[in-house]
Amino acid sequence: MKKLFRAAAVAAAAALALTACGGGGTASDPSNVSPTGEIKPREISWLLSRPADGAVINIMKKLADDYAKEHPGFALNLITTPDRPSYIQKLETLAAANKLPELFDTDATPFAQELAKQGKMVDAHKLLKSLDVYDDYRPGALDYQRFDDGSLYMIPFQFELEFIWYNKALMEKAGVSVPKSLDDIPAMCTALRNAGITPIAIDGQDQWPLERYVAYQPFREAGPDFVQKLKKGEASFSDAAGQKTVKWMADLGKAKCFQEGFSAQGYSDAQNQFTSGQAAMYNIGTWELPSLATDKLNPEVRDDIDFFTLPTTEGSVTAANEFVSPSGIGMAVNSKTYDPLVSDFLKFALEKYPAEYAATGALSPTTNVQTAIPANATPLYKKALETANTLGDKQAMPWDTQLDPTTNGRLQQELVLLVQGNITPEQFTKTMDGAIKQNAPKFFK
Amino acid sequence: MLPNRSRTSVLVFLLPPLLLYCAAVLFPILQSLFLSFFSWNGISEMEFVGLANYVRMLTADDIFWRSFFNALLYLAICLVLQLGGALVVASLLTSLRRGRELIKTLYLLPAVISTVAIAFLFVRIYSIDPVGLLNQLLHWVGLGSFERAWLSDVNTVLAAVSAPEGWRFTGLYMLIIYAALIAVPKELEEAAVLDGASKWTLFTKIRFPYIRPVWITTTIMATTYGLRGFDIPYLMTNGGPGQSSELLTTYMYKTAFTSTDFGYASTISVFIVIECLVAVGLILFMLKRKADS
Repeated sequence: MKKLFRAAAVAAAAALALTACGGGGTASDPSNVSPTGEIKPREISWLLSRPADGAVINIMKKLADDYAKEHPGFALNLITTPDRPSYIQKLETLAAANKLPELFDTDATPFAQELAKQGKMVDAHKLLKSLDVYDDYRPGALDYQRFDDGSLYMIPFQFELEFIWYNKALMEKAGVSVPKSLDDIPAMCTALRNAGITPIAIDGQDQWPLERYVAYQPFREAGPDFVQKLKKGEASFSDAAGQKTVKWMADLGKAKCFQEGFSAQGYSDAQNQFTSGQAAMYNIGTWELPSLATDKLNPEVRDDIDFFTLPTTEGSVTAANEFVSPSGIGMAVNSKTYDPLVSDFLKFALEKYPAEYAATGALSPTTNVQTAIPANATPLYKKALETANTLGDKQAMPWDTQLDPTTNGRLQQELVLLVQGNITPEQFTKTMDGAIKQNAPKFFK
Repeated sequence: MLPNRSRTSVLVFLLPPLLLYCAAVLFPILQSLFLSFFSWNGISEMEFVGLANYVRMLTADDIFWRSFFNALLYLAICLVLQLGGALVVASLLTSLRRGRELIKTLYLLPAVISTVAIAFLFVRIYSIDPVGLLNQLLHWVGLGSFERAWLSDVNTVLAAVSAPEGWRFTGLYMLIIYAALIAVPKELEEAAVLDGASKWTLFTKIRFPYIRPVWITTTIMATTYGLRGFDIPYLMTNGGPGQSSELLTTYMYKTAFTSTDFGYASTISVFIVIECLVAVGLILFMLKRKADS
């Protein structure tokens, strides 16, 4: 028996050594965007994190079918994991095993930047230029996908604007009006609460919605650079802009801005609270236009709903037309499997995609097409789309795509505690500055 | 004693499951042990850091200790509900004349419901806005002051996520203990009753000693399941608010797959393995000492 164990231990050690060696793998030149050679149709895969029957997937399926008619043997295998945390785990595990498919979705996260540094992603700037579509894209849509150094490795498929939707009737009932400054919101919440109304409906379960709020004050106070410095440890929550947001978040909590027990409530819970007329405000992007600005919206509140964009503050360094305008998760092209076929398919698909996408009533990441307004839309739909034409140059980046994953996880946890009043602003500042100090150096060397 | 030839054949038949066990259980444990000495994010070069991960875990990580104590409390609540509840229900069942099968089935039902469904169910039960079952019940019986958002309150969330796990498997352990209880020889019990033993004495002197081997097995099972509890807390609160319902397992999972700190996550998983071994050792030791005395 002893011998057997010894043999097993040796076998295990040998297997460990083997797996440790098998990690490598050659990546081809990520800047070679026009590979030469014959187009050999085969099945390619796209690992993505988008709604299973959403516009992007439906259009890409159709375009892949069209392409396959001219290139028999081609197929696009779409593997979607809409739940973002699960998707990120899947992506990171596949990246660790060096098994990424031809195309995969990612935000401009520190992890993605590391993949780019290792030459595992095709340079999207060069790729879009070589396909002659680069200039069609909205600058903001591309900027959202860029890493801090300005390099571009992901291609956007959406363009969204985030608004604060509100219920006019409820605001009137509480005697409050649209806030002129972010700093007005806590007092507004108190007034709404006194009138028996839930001020803001929020999806606490998914954590990113609350994390949006922490980004607002620094974006107004110090501009988009703050989070880029913060994540590297060059700025901190103890700074003026940091302290302002920490205090503001604590004030939102004190004024009971969010529904009771929000941390355990999901996306649809929050939306239902708003669309059923229980909550006065709801912060969400244009991807919800089909449910907030069409006749699908509950008739009882339909005429009372409107939206405002992120309020400014006194001395704000960013303008009122600059707020969160994400182009969604981007698509990266695996440089290892990039060949004439992938290149040719992307050329085919990216040229045809914008027109198809705009026809569904969504904002295209390009400016060369006109979005079709659905027949059942309310006037808000048009108003929302038109806001895209007057956007400023700067945009507020969601912090969850900026911070290193460990700091991000800690921030999401501590924010709930801060807003619930379980920790003081001082404790929050100390914990978060400590977390950045410990985790940032590993990611931003 | 088996003759030589058949001992060889027994060994031959035991070998495949043993190999399978080594590949599926021992190998990953050894691999974790190996990884725990490295700093590795999955795509970077692996960097040997010696015992640094262990030093960080034991001395510098407040979340680690928080989740360790949470896990112990979680375990305690699960054990009380599962073993205590199972023993009470099983004992009551034996004194029931009719409807045993029905009650057994009813108690067992939660064990066959999928975990995800249980998690969603309890999120609704604990909800305050809209009012869930628990808060509604409290309101009806006049305990309105106890109404709260059970999953958002840092003081109640851990108990709130432990209860579904306990509730879920009570029926299963009840079934095992019930099977052991009805195997207690009737003559022994009758003799004791004739000697004037009370119900309590009957239980502590006859029944419980008789089912002790089964009790040990169920305790070990429930403890190891409790120590590796993961799915319900993860699904219901994802460890929140803050770290109030973070368990070692959920923390390890997040460290590995969200923070992509595979080296440090392996360190935590090595700790979980040791913790399970210590727990089982402790149970065996305590129960053996009790049996000896």
